[in-house]
Amino acid sequence: MRRSLVLAGAAVTVLGLLTGCSAGGDGADSGKTTLSVAALEGGYGRDMYTQVIQAYEAAHPDVDVQLQISKSIEDEITPNMKAGRYPDVVVLGQGRKAALTETLVKDKALEDLTPVLQANVPGESQTVSAKLIDGIVGNLNTNPYGDDKTYLMPMYYAPTGLVYNKGLFEEKGWEVPATWDEMWALGDKAKKDGIALFTYPTAGYLDSFFFALLADVGGEQFYNDVMTYKQGVWQTPQAKQVLDIATKLLSYAAPTTVGYANEQDFTKNQQSILDNKALFMPNGTWIVGEMADAPREDGFAWGLTPLPAAGEGGKRYITTSVESVWVPGAAKNKDAAKDFVAYLYSDAAAKIFAQSNAIQPIKGIVDSLSGENAEFYKVYEDPSVTALVGGFASTAPVPGVDIKATLFDTANSVISGDKTQDQWQSALNDASEKLRQAGS
Amino acid sequence: MATTTSSPPSDTSAPARPAGRSARRRGDGRFVLACLLPALVLFVLFMVVPTVNVFRMSFYTWSGFSPDMRFVGFDNFTQLFEDAQFVRAFQNTVALLVVVTVVTMGMGLFLAAIMTRQRLRGRNFYRFVLYVPNVLSVVVIAAIFSAIYDQQNGLLNGTLRLLSLDGLQQVWLGDQDIVLWSVAIAMVWQSLGYYMVLYMSSMASIPEELYEASGLDGASPTRQFFSITLPLIWQNLRTTLTFFVMSAVNLSFVLVRAMTGGGPDGSSEVLLSYMYKQAYTNSSYGYGMAIGVVIFAFSFLVSLLVSRATRREPLQF
Repeated sequence: MRRSLVLAGAAVTVLGLLTGCSAGGDGADSGKTTLSVAALEGGYGRDMYTQVIQAYEAAHPDVDVQLQISKSIEDEITPNMKAGRYPDVVVLGQGRKAALTETLVKDKALEDLTPVLQANVPGESQTVSAKLIDGIVGNLNTNPYGDDKTYLMPMYYAPTGLVYNKGLFEEKGWEVPATWDEMWALGDKAKKDGIALFTYPTAGYLDSFFFALLADVGGEQFYNDVMTYKQGVWQTPQAKQVLDIATKLLSYAAPTTVGYANEQDFTKNQQSILDNKALFMPNGTWIVGEMADAPREDGFAWGLTPLPAAGEGGKRYITTSVESVWVPGAAKNKDAAKDFVAYLYSDAAAKIFAQSNAIQPIKGIVDSLSGENAEFYKVYEDPSVTALVGGFASTAPVPGVDIKATLFDTANSVISGDKTQDQWQSALNDASEKLRQAGS
Repeated sequence: MATTTSSPPSDTSAPARPAGRSARRRGDGRFVLACLLPALVLFVLFMVVPTVNVFRMSFYTWSGFSPDMRFVGFDNFTQLFEDAQFVRAFQNTVALLVVVTVVTMGMGLFLAAIMTRQRLRGRNFYRFVLYVPNVLSVVVIAAIFSAIYDQQNGLLNGTLRLLSLDGLQQVWLGDQDIVLWSVAIAMVWQSLGYYMVLYMSSMASIPEELYEASGLDGASPTRQFFSITLPLIWQNLRTTLTFFVMSAVNLSFVLVRAMTGGGPDGSSEVLLSYMYKQAYTNSSYGYGMAIGVVIFAFSFLVSLLVSRATRREPLQF
């Protein structure tokens, strides 16, 4: 009798432990649709999401939106996703360490959001695509397979280019260079004053630099060829010219750059701009908030410029970082999710987002900006400057091949002299070729 | 519970005794099994199943999410040996394993011997100071060493400047030839106190008479250390060697991730950090698991070899 009691007790304990592992029950079935939204808590904070959701729920009383937001949102939603419980809407861009978005793109596990573009913004008379600025959809960033289907909706956009101290340029009477020759001349001039021409926070920040440089040198077609791993693209004269310019620029890099180019110390590289020890670094609009509390030289003012033109009067591109919102193909409430995504482009939502400096690619929004943001987004007004969106095309994953690391991280070795430009070029050629084979 | 313990039955007749005892023994066995069951279930669920899965997954290409896994046999493993970055990570791990083990063990033994044998003034304080790094979180350690290694205002370069040894200043985390040793120093600093305390505790249990007797025979402290202390703590030493293998694999990963991210340009990458990069950042989960299998086999093999090579007849006091 006692033994069976003990056994029963043990069995209950085991069962209790096992059920403890499974997730809590679903919400009560009250006829309400429960929409689960997962968002990355980036530099814009979390308040804007709660406000937008409140506004959405007020307009849609039959929908209950559950927000999950975190600075490492991938770690929190991935275990559930592996167990088959997917969030309905995810606000998360590409280029993160965990690469969740990229992985789902490679798996073709995203819902086609092309219908959202044609849908009316809830409560407004315009369609979503009519509100979006030109050229923001239809590139590899939103249509990752290079066809006309949009899987990732552009959420916020921000120019990334060379960030510099406007105050220093005014004080010294220097002009922001418009061609690379002027750039080198400026580099030599600055060196005499003990200022380095260039630095970067970590090598990963060179993405904005390289993407724009590729397009500046070879045009948009060449840029797309590189991004889609066209055969032999890294052996072309244009590719050589890109690496020539990059290598020369790296030779002007601040001596402290490589030593600080890690997760722990990268802000020290950013600080060298504030301290007038380096002139330019590739970065984006978030730098203002990130370094808000950092000490700075008198008269410091943030400036952002596209890369110098490859040739006299050449077209200049500015890499535009676009964060994305997407719907997993395995989401439960896809229709409600699409309606919610369309709502994110409503005037009411855009206003809330803009207050947190999260600027959506909606026509006319730039006119309402002030301060540094107005200054940064002004680069799009220059007729010779074109926005460049996208990144390397997705292929089936190739073990051991990471072309972004090959293109960007090698800069550390080029500065320190551990690798030559030729090694760089041939490594890029190898990586690109392997990815091309995987893609086809 | 007193009735379930095996007190000899008093008034049962002789022929019934064996049957009663075996029934009781079987009952005891069941009870023990029932007690073990929860732990066993958890162990299988969280240790055995994932480990088996690592081995299974290493034969597939899989991105980590998609339902379609493709069986590729040993392809992942053959690719490993053509992957220069993997080879570099392997070399780095082995280098860290050797250097950190030798340095930590040597210094740990030396300090432990001094603290137990020489009646040092304030030794409790030293022990405390040396042990503190072990309770710090790795992120804190990374921040501390970022301040020490800073190329401009760092403690290390600052001290060198102060001593007019400017030529010895280095970019500790930026020079590809040095960065791995910078990580090694942080690892030694972190684990030294722990091993020192381990060695001290086993040294303290060695009877004082042995030292007195050998002292009367004219043995120097050095001789005493090698002829008495070392042989008598040998078993303890062997155990710590296995710890070193594990910490070289695990601790190096967390430190590298927090301090250098594997950079500059992959020069401080270790096996686990490379596995993480491949499995997650590069969406090659199967390939990452193949690296995991290599790590498993490697640490298992090294532990086995070390344990075989150091086997001695245990000495008693």
